[in-house]
Amino acid sequence: MTTAVQQEAGPTPGIDPALVRDAQRGDPLALAELMELLTPYVGRICGPIARQDGPDAAQDALIVILRGLRQLREPAALLGWARTIAVREAVRVAQRAGRTVTAPLDELRAAGDPQLATDVEDALARLTPEHRAVLVLRDLEGVDETTTSSVLAVPLGTVRSRLARARRSFRKVWES
Amino acid sequence: MTDNWMVAELDPIRRLRVLAATVPGALRHREVLLPAPVDRVWAVASDLERELPRLLTTVRSFRFTGGEGERLRAHAVGRFGQQADFEVVLRPGWCLMQSRFVVGAMAAVPEGEGTRFATLGGFRFPGARLLSPLTGLLGDVAIRRFAEHPALRD
Repeated sequence: MTTAVQQEAGPTPGIDPALVRDAQRGDPLALAELMELLTPYVGRICGPIARQDGPDAAQDALIVILRGLRQLREPAALLGWARTIAVREAVRVAQRAGRTVTAPLDELRAAGDPQLATDVEDALARLTPEHRAVLVLRDLEGVDETTTSSVLAVPLGTVRSRLARARRSFRKVWES
Repeated sequence: MTDNWMVAELDPIRRLRVLAATVPGALRHREVLLPAPVDRVWAVASDLERELPRLLTTVRSFRFTGGEGERLRAHAVGRFGQQADFEVVLRPGWCLMQSRFVVGAMAAVPEGEGTRFATLGGFRFPGARLLSPLTGLLGDVAIRRFAEHPALRD
């Protein structure tokens, strides 16, 4: 695993290239071990985008990732590739579920309040899956705009405008 | 923003579904809902040396030969004297076993007052799809025998 990929991927444990190659050959134990190493990373992307459908999205994303593993020529590219698939599957599953929250937010909690996380989740829930995806990539995963553009398969200008709208929407809901 | 609610988790049943959709070969994947708590179900399922010969008509004996923690090794002898060494990963709610030619897995999670239990089994070599009818037969028989296990009755 290269340093560049580890930095890009965040605090995910390094993945042995030999394990990736064994999994590419269809070895069941290697596939299972790779699935377990990828699950927290995929889950961290699918959770905030697909929310209560996050486990469905993570399951679908891992199936797509492991099925397509043979197409991956360089094991070091695994995490970036997995991230692209996880974001797309999470958006797809969230759109299919079509859940929206319309109830007003409770009174804003102070930082450190155990309810704070719930409020953040409520605010995120009011965004579209596409806006949640761009927020997750840029603000949670720290992915640059060019990579975000590639992951979401939209032009750079769209990433910038979508991100601005997503942040504005989040702030508006948060402060309402 | 890294609290637990932000991370989608995969329980063992979902992990088995992922493997069922990705491991190459002729595999049979089955899920059942059992009216017994997960601890009781897993106590039976994880007793591989005793239960595998009971559940699988092709297995005469299955004995652990080494390993440590959740990574173990086992030796199986078939009804017709054929032998195979298995690598086994065994922990609460999850079991994955593989030899050179065969793969088997089980998973269990609580669901309501019962347990969702899943099995995966079959042949992993090229061309094994021709054996699909056999894996179907074995998989159905094994999970039915498991569901009817005396230890899981009230």
